[in-house]
Amino acid sequence: MGSEDPVSIELRDIGFRYGRVEALRGVSFALGRGATGLLGPNGAGKSTLLRILLGFLRPDTGGGRVLGYDIVREQAQIRRRVGYMPEDDCLLPGMDAVTFTSHLGELSGMPRQEAMKRAHEVLFYVGLGESRYRLLDTYSGGMKQRLKLAQALVHDPRLLFLDEPTANLDPRGRQDILELIADIASNKNIQVVISSHVLSDIESSCSRVVILNKGRVAAQGLLADLRQEHFNLYELRVKGRRREYLEKLAGLGCRIEETEDGLLRVFVPVGLEKKAIFRLAAEENIQVRHFFRSRTSLEDLFARTVGGEA
Amino acid sequence: MSIREKGYHHWDGTFLEPMRPWRPIARLGIRLAFRRKFFKFAFSLSFLPAFVFLAGIYLSERLQDFRGIIKQDSLPLDVQPVYFLRYLTADFLMFMTVIVLVFCAAGLVADDLKHNALQLYFARPLAKRDYVLGKAAVAAFFVLLLTLVPGWILVLFDLVFSGSLALLRDHPLLPLSILLYSALAAAFFASYSLLLSSLSRNRRTASLLIFGVYVFSDVLSEVLRGVFRSPGFGLLSVKNNLKQVASALFAVKPSLDAPWVYSALILAAGAALGAWVLHRKIREVAVIR
Repeated sequence: MGSEDPVSIELRDIGFRYGRVEALRGVSFALGRGATGLLGPNGAGKSTLLRILLGFLRPDTGGGRVLGYDIVREQAQIRRRVGYMPEDDCLLPGMDAVTFTSHLGELSGMPRQEAMKRAHEVLFYVGLGESRYRLLDTYSGGMKQRLKLAQALVHDPRLLFLDEPTANLDPRGRQDILELIADIASNKNIQVVISSHVLSDIESSCSRVVILNKGRVAAQGLLADLRQEHFNLYELRVKGRRREYLEKLAGLGCRIEETEDGLLRVFVPVGLEKKAIFRLAAEENIQVRHFFRSRTSLEDLFARTVGGEA
Repeated sequence: MSIREKGYHHWDGTFLEPMRPWRPIARLGIRLAFRRKFFKFAFSLSFLPAFVFLAGIYLSERLQDFRGIIKQDSLPLDVQPVYFLRYLTADFLMFMTVIVLVFCAAGLVADDLKHNALQLYFARPLAKRDYVLGKAAVAAFFVLLLTLVPGWILVLFDLVFSGSLALLRDHPLLPLSILLYSALAAAFFASYSLLLSSLSRNRRTASLLIFGVYVFSDVLSEVLRGVFRSPGFGLLSVKNNLKQVASALFAVKPSLDAPWVYSALILAAGAALGAWVLHRKIREVAVIR
């Protein structure tokens, strides 16, 4: 985050326990403009962290600010300025999309008429303009997903929390929602935090990630930096007695994956030079027939960061 | 359907201060009740006792107009506080109030639980009390429309038909008694229906509970009173307890031979139970899974 980038979420040493279970421990980070992906295996503490950010839970230790408001003392102010798109299907039955969206705008504190006007605008924005007078009970899964985004936007939040925003969507709908999120994050001056299990969604829409594991921050920062920071990925094809060679590579701290067609993907830790791969190959009489530096995917980063513990 | 048919514009308005988020919740609940099938019919039918009692007031005050066709002895109508008490505690009115609640209040919490809507509410700057107050206001609104409004209108028409203020002069506390009983009935029925609505995620089950508990308590109390010949069993009935407290508010001897305070305590306990269950049910909901 650059020094000119305003900080919208700042957490310091957040800890939280559910009885004996420690859900979060020493979580600290600061987020600024743009889209941030919140990643982690099940039980990593993502939901607890979101609950704390929205003010539903009070942290046992530490503190922080969201949009400049204290997460313990000024929860109502935070919720007024934050939009939340829940993961599961949730609606108020028996009404149309305009009534639904404007009602939630009113609950955020908007005057009634302005909430209604604004509901029309955001429904058009998410692509539900033509269906805004249809009963919600008749909406498809994709339409409900867009509606949830509309209700999160109706009061013009400065920060959006999106929980699995592409769940239940077909590829086209998924692409549309991701485009919308990208548009919101990059052009509308709204910061977006996306909690998702779909790593490709995070990869395509977020420039920054926070990876949680066992209640701690396992990695955080710009995606590009993290890829560089943790390891370098090389793809190899070799000929010879590869078993010993691979064992020695692993002994140097490399993680190796083998694809079905015999391609070796070697994750080389930072600090270990690529020469070591060739040196080891020479010692083991291995022919290196293909060597290519590959771009690491978020999946690689996630697997490397969370490792076998996930 | 293309995304971004219109662009996104920032809202340049200001949020309301102070916020009263229970108001939109109540307003929406009332609007949605009128959209339910058969609700308008049931609600209209609930005003039948009001028209009957209004006709009674007209006949009693304008009896001289009908001397030619009615013998005075055959129409012993006397508009006193007990007349209004009879209206407010009429079996039919109470039954129809419960029917109206079945339509308008059964889904108030049950629907939100079923459709995971609580997380939408509580992601907004509203407290649990705002949510409960908004939902309770829906039930209270309809109960007050069936008790307070007709009660005061009956008083007003009596003044109009009699052409004098004699009723208020002789019974100055009558409007207050109507107000107090209506407020009590509204508070109790709101708590009663929210309690039963929160016990299920299914609106139909909640409807059955609202109707069933009222009817069953009445039937059970009558059976036990008949078997054991003890008036105390009358206090098992929701209806009887409301009647007992209403009698006390109108300074009329209660129909059951039991202290009205017991009934007041039973109703208060029911309302407290409702508040406690609501507190638990709403707290237990995982706002974000």
